[in-house]
Amino acid sequence: MLYIIYTIILIYVTVILGIEFFQERKWKMQIAIAFVLLIFILRILQVK
Amino acid sequence: MKKHHISAIVISLITILAGIIASLEFHKLHVSEPLYPSEELTSEGMLSDYFPGIKDTNGDTKIYFFDSGKPGATVFLAGGTHPNEPAGYLASVVILENLIPEKGRVIVIPRLNNSAFTCTDPMEAFPQSFHINTDNGPREFRFGSRATNPLDQWPDPLVYSHKPSGQQYSGLESRNLNRAYPGSSKGSFTEKVAYAIMQMIEKEKVDISYDLHEAAPEIPIINAIVYHEKSEDIAMYSILELEMEELQFTPELSPKNFHGLSHREWGDYTETYPFLMETSNPIQGRLRGKTNEELILDGVSKNYQIAKETGALRIVYRDEGEQLEHRVGRHLSGFMAIISSYNEIHFDNPVEVSGLPGYQELVENGIGKYLNN
Repeated sequence: MLYIIYTIILIYVTVILGIEFFQERKWKMQIAIAFVLLIFILRILQVK
Repeated sequence: MKKHHISAIVISLITILAGIIASLEFHKLHVSEPLYPSEELTSEGMLSDYFPGIKDTNGDTKIYFFDSGKPGATVFLAGGTHPNEPAGYLASVVILENLIPEKGRVIVIPRLNNSAFTCTDPMEAFPQSFHINTDNGPREFRFGSRATNPLDQWPDPLVYSHKPSGQQYSGLESRNLNRAYPGSSKGSFTEKVAYAIMQMIEKEKVDISYDLHEAAPEIPIINAIVYHEKSEDIAMYSILELEMEELQFTPELSPKNFHGLSHREWGDYTETYPFLMETSNPIQGRLRGKTNEELILDGVSKNYQIAKETGALRIVYRDEGEQLEHRVGRHLSGFMAIISSYNEIHFDNPVEVSGLPGYQELVENGIGKYLNN
């Protein structure tokens, strides 16, 4: 059950970050967000 | 299209490319290296044959049976409980690839916690593999994690409560196979694997069980044979025998209140005589310094040399380093000494094996000479 809750939280944060990524105007900040997104997406896809 | 949208698309494409490269690297960790059992192998099975609850999961692992066809005792040898302890894993591979059973049976599981071979401990800079040179070229072996892959069991609890004792450990230990025995058919992933191993020991009527390990040089239980109280006579005989080969092993009695470990629970819940062996492995230590494949193979660490010379810590570290041959050799000589001591006491139900190199042969000839490929 905890696994499902944590995964839902992860998907939620990833979606919010994804929206933020495309709204962000500074490319340096976009790179920083991309670093975080990459790890989150790999985790959602069960890649480790 | 706005400028920041263009940069977002470019960065996305770069991120996707990085993701694909990372995924391919992670995928490699899930591929088992080939092992080449000796010609005396009689059959193969899977751990899930004893508990279908782990079938088609990362917890399922191959079991190799060597049956002499002559009556005698059954020995179970486990490598890879902790895949970040390479001498334990490699000793089981050398035994698998050279063993000739003469009396009784030998069961070998080289990748006991198969899931832990599919990841590496984060924040430790460990190499993902190491290589052993053989007559037919180098062979690659995985250097894995101490614990089950978090993909198979996640998240960790803050406090892990061992079942059924109720003993409490840090949350990380919930993925440590050697804190999960006797396991449970309805428990976590790691507890299910532990349960399957207990079922195997029970159903195969295993008489002697080995669990091969390593530990950091500063850990007190190093170059030791840990034994259950019912295995005491065998352990003491074997330590005397090893002393005659000039190999010093410390006898360590398994504490009755230290639960979840193989040397405690295998003995408490089954008829087997369990043993756990440890060697000194600098790459596991906090003082190790540069962390690379050479440290796994040569075991040379300046920091441990300095620590030993200061005398401030109790360190098990040789001046020439803790080479992998030396560590694997200790496991092999320990394995044979325990069998020999068991036979002294249980002469009506012996187990005999041949074809295995001892400590001196491994140190003189290297491990590669005893690997088939």
